[in-house]
Order: sequence, then C-alpha cells, then structure tokens
Amino acid sequence: MRKSSTMKTICRLQAAIVVMLGLVLSASTALALTVSVSPQEIPINLSYHGANLVVTGTSAAGDELIVKIASAPHDTLLKYKGKAAGLFWMKMGNMDFKNTPTVYLLSSTSKLEGLLSPAERVQYTIGYPALKERTEIESSMAEPDKDQWFDHFIQFKKKERLYRIQEGTVTRQGGNYRLETAWPYEAAPGTYTVQVLAVRDGKVVESAETSLEVARAGAVATLSRLAFDRAAVYGIMALVVAMAAGFAVGSLFKGGGAH
Amino acid sequence: MFMYLPIALTSVNYLLVVGLGLAVGLLSGLFGVGGGFLMTPLLMMIGIPPTIAAATDANQIVAASASGTLAHWRLGNVDFKMGLYLLVGGFLGGAVGVQIIKILRATGGADFLIKMTYVIMLGVVGTFMFFESLNALRKNKKKAADPGSNPGKSGGAGGSGNTGDSLRMDSTMASADGGAGVATASMVMENEKKGLLASLPLQTYFEKSGVTHSALVPLGLGVFVGILAAIMGVGGGFLMVPVMIYMLRMPMHVVVGTSLFQIMFTCTEVTFLQAYSNHTVDFLLAILLLVGSVFGAQIGTILGRKLHGDQLKILLAIIVLVVTAKIVLEQVLEPSLLLAYGGGH
Repeated sequence: MRKSSTMKTICRLQAAIVVMLGLVLSASTALALTVSVSPQEIPINLSYHGANLVVTGTSAAGDELIVKIASAPHDTLLKYKGKAAGLFWMKMGNMDFKNTPTVYLLSSTSKLEGLLSPAERVQYTIGYPALKERTEIESSMAEPDKDQWFDHFIQFKKKERLYRIQEGTVTRQGGNYRLETAWPYEAAPGTYTVQVLAVRDGKVVESAETSLEVARAGAVATLSRLAFDRAAVYGIMALVVAMAAGFAVGSLFKGGGAH
Repeated sequence: MFMYLPIALTSVNYLLVVGLGLAVGLLSGLFGVGGGFLMTPLLMMIGIPPTIAAATDANQIVAASASGTLAHWRLGNVDFKMGLYLLVGGFLGGAVGVQIIKILRATGGADFLIKMTYVIMLGVVGTFMFFESLNALRKNKKKAADPGSNPGKSGGAGGSGNTGDSLRMDSTMASADGGAGVATASMVMENEKKGLLASLPLQTYFEKSGVTHSALVPLGLGVFVGILAAIMGVGGGFLMVPVMIYMLRMPMHVVVGTSLFQIMFTCTEVTFLQAYSNHTVDFLLAILLLVGSVFGAQIGTILGRKLHGDQLKILLAIIVLVVTAKIVLEQVLEPSLLLAYGGGH
C-alpha cells in the first residue's frame, strides 16, 4: 500500500513538473521576439552597389510580423513644380516635408490592411497613411493640399527606391522568421533602425529592434573626408589631375592631331 | 561595371559615364563648347544630384578643354591675345552676374526669368547660326560651280553695297581656307572701321584672327557673356562661340581653339570655388568623365579639321536647336514627378 501511494505521489509530481515546464515553455515562446540583421554593418567602398539584407529572429507562433527598416525622422527639403505663366512647368518654390524618414522599407508576413487598428498604425508609423499623419508640410505655396502633395512625395521617394512596402515577404518556419531584402545604394551613409513588431488581434503585442550601420570605407571614406575637411587641397587635386590628364592625352595625340 | 561616387552618394555604371564623357568631349573638340548644356541634364538622368552634376562637369571640362586647347594650339588655332581679353571680361561679368542673380532671387520669380532667357538665347543663337551657315554653304556651292567668281571678287562687290553679313561669311570662309582671301579680310576690316566700334580707343590688331578691334570690344563682350552665363548658370561656350564668329569676326577654326582656351580657365575657377565652398565636386565622377572626354576632344579636333567652318557652324546650330526644342518640350509637358531637389539647370 505504502509503495503504491509513493508511486502515485511520484507520478503526480512528474505530471505537475511536465505541466509547469509546458507553461514555462509556452510563456517563454510568447515573449521571445528577437531580431538580428546580417550584415549589421554595410561598408560603402568603391564597388558598392547596395547590399542584400537578411533579417532573422524568433517570435511566438501565430503572431503576424511587421519589419520596418527606417532612419530617424527629419526634414526633407524639396522644390515643387508648377505651371508658370500658364504654360511652362518649372520649380516654383520650396516644400519642406517635416518629420519624414530618409529611408522607409516595410515588410510583413501578410497584407497590412486590417492587420492593425488605425490608432496602432499611427503610433508605430506603419504604412503611408500613418506616415502622412505624422508628416507636416511647410511650403512657400499658399496652403498646399496635404493629401495631394504627400502622394507626390511618396512617388518621389519610391522613384529614388528609398520608400518601399513589400507585403508577405517575411516568411516563418515554426518559431523562426526570415526576411531577405535589397538595401538600396541610393540610401545615404548613416545609422538605421531595424524594428520588428509582433501583431495579434489588431494590436502590437511586442516589439524588438536592432541597428544597421551604413558607413563609407576605404577610398570612398578618404575622398569624402578630404572633400569636406580639406576642401582647398581637394579642389587643387581635382584641378591638377584634370589638367594633367588633358595635357597628357593631348601630347599622346601629337602625331594624329597636327598637320 | 559599377562604381560608388563618394560625393554624389550614388553608384553608377562606369562604362556608361566614360561613354558620356567621350561623346561630350568630342563635341567640345569639334565646336569649342564646354558641353555643360548637354552633360548636366545627362548626369541628372543617371541619378546624380543637380548641384553635383553641374560642379563636377566643370571639373571634367577643365580636362577636355586642356586636351582640346593643346590640339588646337598645335594647329595654330588659338588666339591667346583675344582669349585673354575675353577671359578678363568674362571674370568681371561673372562677378557682376552673380550679384544680379542674388537681387533677382530676392525679388522672386527669378527662375522663370532665367529659364526664359536661356531658352530664348539658345533659340535665337541656334536659328541665326543655322540660316547664316546654310546661306554660306549654298554660296560656297555656287562658287564651286562658277569658277569665275572668287572670294576677292565677292569681297569687292560687298565693299560697294553688299550687306555686312555676306562680308563676314566671306571672311570666315577665306580664313578657314587657310588665309586665301586676305583681300576679303582687309575689306572687312575697312568696313568695320567705318563703324562706331572703330572710333573706340586702344585699337589692337589680333594677328591670329586677322582682325582689328579696340581692346574694349572683346573686354565688353566678355563681360556681356560672363553676366549671362552666371545668370543662366552655364559655362557660356554656346554664347561665346557665336559672339566670336559674328561680333569679333574671327575665323571659325580659331574661334574653336580660342574658346577652349578660355573655357579651360573659366572652369578652373568654377571647379575650385565649387569644391572649396560647396563641396559639390565629385572627384571620381570627374575622373570617369574625363577619361572619355580628353580622348573625345582629340577625336573632335581631328574631325573638325576635315570639316569646313560653315559645316561646323551648321552642325553646332542643329545641336543648339535640338537642345532648345528638348528644353521647351520639357517645360510644356507635365513632368512625371512634381517634386525635385533644388539646384541644376
């Protein structure tokens, strides 16, 4: 009797441990939203023509994911075009798009529409309408139509390949997710944020982020430093090389060019 | 195939850029223009920001014009004296022009005025040059068909009542043919002396061009072109070349060489100022362009020797008119994007 009751107690304890382990494991799965980007540093050297970015991490199974790669918001000063004298299209004045990122690349596991409530979209700046909410337009034009000019702004940035939304490009396998995306060479050197949002029932339940460093390297860095820090030397170097090249090739053609 | 540009902050296909340099350098050696009015928009089309496109183009023109000046100097086509007067005038004019543009910008609506001036200037210069050289070419054909008529005779007729234009054409053709029509050139000079310009002080004989002017004439014209070039934000080669042909009455081949000599100095100044004050010169982009343009300038010079002065003029006129038409079309048709970065033409 004593033996069987001991066995029963052991069995109960085992079952309790299994249940507890299960609970702990499921709780840890729900919380374990991670993100890493490879490469984390992109060197801009002479042969640089953009890069292939791979964003990976873990997340709770069943959550939808949104990956946003963007710069910190700042002011984008542009010129707007209009018709002068009712005939000619030309740059008419300034238009400053305040609080806009230079780069805005958005990817998700499924269609963005209906994924998040409008308030959440604006809070996390997900999608162009949310970006518009956060943007202010200042212009030399009297009362610019915000909807119309923000659309032009998005077109402009898309043409530069700096704004992009790719739905359904984040793939998952169990608790792991993966995004492969092209980093545009048009993006200026700087620090960018890679943010991943886990979405459940129209709400962001968790977020994680890491940074991406894009920096000049090698000859690109040397020339850039020279151009900005020692502008006179840089200018003279540009002139000497141009003159020398011109006269050297001029001399090479001596036979062919003269009478 | 691709190279990243440290100042323009973009990646370009270097074969394409070298090709662009070659094509525009060829035009430079052929016509004595810097080619900025072609190169800057082409660079903008491959994604170079407007301010960097304009400044870097000035840098590569230094190389192309140095190469072209050397080639033309060997052929005896550079009038250094005339070039120097025009250069001094151009520098003064440039300084005045920069001040005018500041005032215009402050009053607003300047961009429209600048664009209109640019289009009208290009259109007028192109049209005038086209018809003038067409007439000259026709006349040339007639002369070839009628061996009894020679430049000397034609010049004589001009002296007794022909228009100044026909005299100028004869002068150009005669000199381009190797100075065969010395009589014509002297008739032109005499005709000129009757004019108002002849009464100005500091009359100087410009040996290489075979013309006599008051030193104030090239100085004044240099100022005029310098002001316009500064206002329009261009090098001014397309204005300086017709000024030398029609107002200074220099032979076409000497015009090309002298214009290149002058452009070399103007662009040296522009390159340094842009690099020093605005940091807008992309050295790597300039190197890619000049690798093409220095060879292009040599090929252009060789091609130019095979062409008659009037043939050169009519070709330049056609290019100027095509560029004018392109600008007008761009202005009239609605652009695909209504936003742009500042700067550029």
